[in-house]
Amino acid sequence: MPARRIIVPATVFATVILLWWMTHQAGWTNAYLLPAPSAVIAALVDLAASGLLLKHTLVSLQRVLLGFGLSVALALPLAVLMSASRPARAVLDPLLEFVRQVPPLALIPLLILWLGIGETQKLGIIVLASFFPVFLGFRGGIAGVDPKLVEVGRVAGLSRREILTRIVLPSALPELVVGLRISLGYSWRALVGAELIASSAGLGYMIIDAENLARTDIVLAGILVIGTIGLFSDLILRLAIGRAFPWLSAHLEAARA
Amino acid sequence: MLELVEASRHYDVAGRAVAALDDVTQPFSDGSITTVVGRSGCGKTTLLRLLAGLTEPSSGSVRRAPSRSIGVVFQEARLMPWLDVGANVAFPLKNRLSDAEIAERVSDSLSLVGLAEAHRAMPAQLSGGMAQRVAIARALAQHPDILLLDEPFSALDAFTRRRLQDVLIDIWQERRPTVVLVTHDVEEAVLLGESVIEMESGRVVGRVPVDIPFPREATDAAVVDYRRSILARLVGGAPFSSIPESRRSP
Repeated sequence: MPARRIIVPATVFATVILLWWMTHQAGWTNAYLLPAPSAVIAALVDLAASGLLLKHTLVSLQRVLLGFGLSVALALPLAVLMSASRPARAVLDPLLEFVRQVPPLALIPLLILWLGIGETQKLGIIVLASFFPVFLGFRGGIAGVDPKLVEVGRVAGLSRREILTRIVLPSALPELVVGLRISLGYSWRALVGAELIASSAGLGYMIIDAENLARTDIVLAGILVIGTIGLFSDLILRLAIGRAFPWLSAHLEAARA
Repeated sequence: MLELVEASRHYDVAGRAVAALDDVTQPFSDGSITTVVGRSGCGKTTLLRLLAGLTEPSSGSVRRAPSRSIGVVFQEARLMPWLDVGANVAFPLKNRLSDAEIAERVSDSLSLVGLAEAHRAMPAQLSGGMAQRVAIARALAQHPDILLLDEPFSALDAFTRRRLQDVLIDIWQERRPTVVLVTHDVEEAVLLGESVIEMESGRVVGRVPVDIPFPREATDAAVVDYRRSILARLVGGAPFSSIPESRRSP
């Protein structure tokens, strides 16, 4: 099965590239709007050789990891607090619900005014975009705990705290994992959005800069890199979770960011 | 002492109060083994949940010394899917006994239910019957003062059921917990109970002391007699007995 799991997606990607190459060879597309795969690869090689690709990628990666980490660090305790405390729910639910309805990209102008165009603003956008999937996933998981398992804890004489740590939190893990994967994907999307608007480094900046210079090959190269890193970061997250919690493997297939 | 005193439990069904348990007074003396038998929906499970402290009585009370430990086997296995079999059996013991004691109890009780080899298996890998045996091992490992079992063997094949019924009697004779076992199987009730409580529509309609020494066999003439008389009382007058003799299969 593992071989098939690699062969099928590899074939899909190879087919897309083949079609892309054929449309180019047939002269159906304008080379400016859609450069040949070879041109994009050449641009990638140039970018890699100059060190620019690594520089922009590292800047973006760092922002994503920081923002995603910050989201998780905020979302987990808040989800536990709001699941456990009715007053906390009463106060925070309406506020969070309001913020959730506003697309993070719509807040970029405000964040630029408040936080400037530096790193804080980009982290802010990533946190806004990636907070809710983890938060809601974990809360949903906590709310969805099987009351029959809680009863097992009650008859065993477990305290409220023990029921929370030994039954409720572990049983919320599957939904948390789904939330984590979606959040990581959202982090990437929001980051590139933020870098497109105001930045001097990062993959989003590289793309917008290339567009200004009419270098569609670099734009496409940037898109390829972002997609590839997104795929791999999801894979790494899945592997890490699968290793830490082997019983979750079925749930790991449930979410696609 | 474990006792229900004028205990009732009502549930709200579409705005109407329905009595799952109706004014039941029933003592269970220390170290006794009692079976509760009746049709589905007669209130057996509610009675057990009240004894376990999982459901509060709507009126009346449950008397139980708070210091007494309780082990419960539910109708479903209720294993923690993130823990392996060994950790599931150890679940109620964690932070209460030393690791060495826990390990010993886990391996002892898994051996009792015939799953000594399954220590590292995950619940998702178990059949329904195996999972239920793990749940039984989990309750036995607690060495509880009070052992409450709700149809514990109904998910098991006939051979395993027979073996685990013997295990239950052995453990009861050895450790003398107060055992209350709920079943819809009259034969099982007679095989396992020092006395059999008959329930119907939320009420206790009879308590039959079964005067046969353990171990009992389903084929013993005395067991068959008790079974027949309990069945006759519980089925008598109910709709199922109204099929005319001539239309019953031979």
